[in-house]
Amino acid sequence: MIIEGGIVYDPKNGVLGEEMDVSIEDGRVVEESRDGEKIDARGMLVLPGGVDAHAHIAGGKVNTGRIMRPEDGRRGTEPRTKLLRPSTGYTVPNCYAIGYRYARLGYTIAFEAATPILEARHTHEELEEIPIVDKGALTLFGNNWEVLECVRDGDLDKLAAFVAWGLRASRGYGVKVVNPGGGEAWGFGGNVKGIDDPVPSFNVTPREIIRYLMKANEALRLPHSVHLHTNNLGKPGNYETTLATLRAVEDIAASRDRQVLHVTHMQFSAYGGTGWKDFESKASEIADYFNKHDQFTMDMGQLIFGSATTMTADAPLEYANARLLKAKWSNHDIELEESSGVVPIVYGRKNPINAIQWAIGLELALLTEDPWQMIMTTDHPNGGPFVNYPEVIALLMSRPKREEELATLHELASKRSSLPTIEREMDWNEVAIVTRAGPAKILGLPEKGHLGVGADGDVSIYEIDPEKVDPSRDHKEVKAALARAKYTIKGGEVVVRDGEIVAVPQGRTYWVDASVPEDQAAKVEADLASKFAKYYSIQMSNYMVQDAYVTRPRVIKAGVI
Amino acid sequence: MRQIVIKPRRGFRVPVEAERISPDVFAPLSIEEIRSLQVWEGNRKVTLSDLFEISGESEPAPPEETVISLSGDFSGVKRIGENMTCGKIAVAGDVGMHAGNGMAGGEILIEGNAGGWLGREMRGGKIAVLGDAGDYVGAGYRGESCGMRGGEIRIEGSAGDYLGEHLCGGTITVVGDAGDFPGIANRGGTIVIGGDAHLPGAEMASGTITVRGRARVLPSFQRLETVEIDGLRFDKFLGDLVDGGKGELYAASVEEG
Repeated sequence: MIIEGGIVYDPKNGVLGEEMDVSIEDGRVVEESRDGEKIDARGMLVLPGGVDAHAHIAGGKVNTGRIMRPEDGRRGTEPRTKLLRPSTGYTVPNCYAIGYRYARLGYTIAFEAATPILEARHTHEELEEIPIVDKGALTLFGNNWEVLECVRDGDLDKLAAFVAWGLRASRGYGVKVVNPGGGEAWGFGGNVKGIDDPVPSFNVTPREIIRYLMKANEALRLPHSVHLHTNNLGKPGNYETTLATLRAVEDIAASRDRQVLHVTHMQFSAYGGTGWKDFESKASEIADYFNKHDQFTMDMGQLIFGSATTMTADAPLEYANARLLKAKWSNHDIELEESSGVVPIVYGRKNPINAIQWAIGLELALLTEDPWQMIMTTDHPNGGPFVNYPEVIALLMSRPKREEELATLHELASKRSSLPTIEREMDWNEVAIVTRAGPAKILGLPEKGHLGVGADGDVSIYEIDPEKVDPSRDHKEVKAALARAKYTIKGGEVVVRDGEIVAVPQGRTYWVDASVPEDQAAKVEADLASKFAKYYSIQMSNYMVQDAYVTRPRVIKAGVI
Repeated sequence: MRQIVIKPRRGFRVPVEAERISPDVFAPLSIEEIRSLQVWEGNRKVTLSDLFEISGESEPAPPEETVISLSGDFSGVKRIGENMTCGKIAVAGDVGMHAGNGMAGGEILIEGNAGGWLGREMRGGKIAVLGDAGDYVGAGYRGESCGMRGGEIRIEGSAGDYLGEHLCGGTITVVGDAGDFPGIANRGGTIVIGGDAHLPGAEMASGTITVRGRARVLPSFQRLETVEIDGLRFDKFLGDLVDGGKGELYAASVEEG
């Protein structure tokens, strides 16, 4: 296949809006293609397929959201066709809709952001049903008893062995840490208040948990860094916790050419104020810190006005949400591993807190100078559903659009954030970084997010001419074009044409197989045998994700040997 | 006024989904186009005239001047008048579930009985039922935080259970009795029940419920005072305190225990 004459942005390979051909053969980008298929992309924008590094798209809490929200299922229904299965839902779409909607946006890979090992079979059962896109899942470690015990005993080697075991048991891709220690404390109705607040019964602090897991992550040379949801997330004044967390790990070095820590949905962790009354943005403090520390990366967690469903392993946060909003609430105790919660929410333009939150996400993205440190996300569906990515991109590219939006919001969005003063407008190269090249690098996926020879043949083509359209002024055109890819090509196959799905191949599931010394693995196995005998509600043989659950794996090797 | 008359050709053993029967849909169409509108009978797609005899003036007219007269047994026909904004539907007979769903304006008059979910999530307009209505009148569908937000529903007979569930506005009047939990999770609407009611206002946050007959009142309601309305004495309650509610409940006769 040859994609002819498009305006190509491929930041990783230094291609900045050049008119050029892209050739694909056997699913990969090649120098020259011999077969005859041609796609005319003249006057169109050509990008690598989109990479979503953080979205809640599969597993126990997503399904809890669906069960709790039949009213959401009614929104976004599309009947089946000869090719497609039926779609439902807006914030918690069914599995098919997730795949179709990503493909229509030009996205070709997405990562589920939080899976407890105990729920991993469920996660993979859903991932298997998400069509078209490649996918993977990050595994939760921040409140696991085995982790807390290794940290308490100062046994880094055993911790690394457990992380490797946990990734294999869950067929997971990376180490996710959510409110470390807080999820365990929630089992007793409590929480941790900061990074030095000890976890009940274990006498370890969030600071120690994060540091040990980062060291284990780097000892295993995992493709992705630790992926952190900070303590005190969602609370006024939490930017101090966020900065204290980052300062506490400045001395740790990455084992690979990538960040040493990814802080996720930063919008929820960049709050000032002593309470909701004097709530304000501290995005500039966070961005300043990132501008001086290039070993850290973040994603936006941009808020989208309208309906959202918050879902997280941060169960105490969800309890607070449910009390504050008087909303439906689901709470879940995941045995020795985590807790979790789900609460629906409607973000309102005239709600001062929501309006400031909206501004914070954009401030973070625009004040962080290096786009390689930033990923565009909405923390789907916590900040809003991923189908709104074109809206976020249009906001990043257009100051007039931001001003139009600000005029419709509660006035505190302008007074308690610096957004009105920010002139920066991202260009297409920066957009290609924050949606493609950046997340691929941050996740450690060398074959994704670019169009160099050997890359996966994942391409998105949009009906917009970057040489003619001024995104600042014509932001409506930008949003409309990005919402409906002219073509999405996945592994060399056209899956979307003119915004409609034309083929439904099955993507692959990434997971990381990390090797560890046998004696350490044996120690972990002995610990776990006792934990399953004493505490777990199921047997270990019913716990591991077997190969049958991951029918099209792409296994990445890592480890200490 | 343009009048269109619809009569069933036969009885329906499986439900018909007839959300197309609405003044807004009919107004711009000729009678032939109306006859060929698609509806579902169970899992089969059919045209309106496959199921119904349709007569009336052929020329299109504005929806405000469109009157649809349904004559016969429509108890197996769902979603009549869904999302209508104006005009009138008059039914000489019974209607099935979900009549007047999301209706924003206009009028529906039902001379017989209505099925469940009458006026579900209605926003405006009027529905009058001369017979009885089923469960979930003016309610929100599964999971919604708001049912009816505006408009009026009047039922001359009795209503089933969960009358006005998650009511967020508007008025529902039932001349006869209401079943279990009328006004459950009321968030700002008004309900008047002429007869008896069982456990009205559970989880209500605001709004008003008046029961002119006997009511069994939940223990999570606080008795405030006795008031007189239209010559009838009522016990006034505040609730539902189980959720910090500030709703008002008036009951003429309180069933103890």
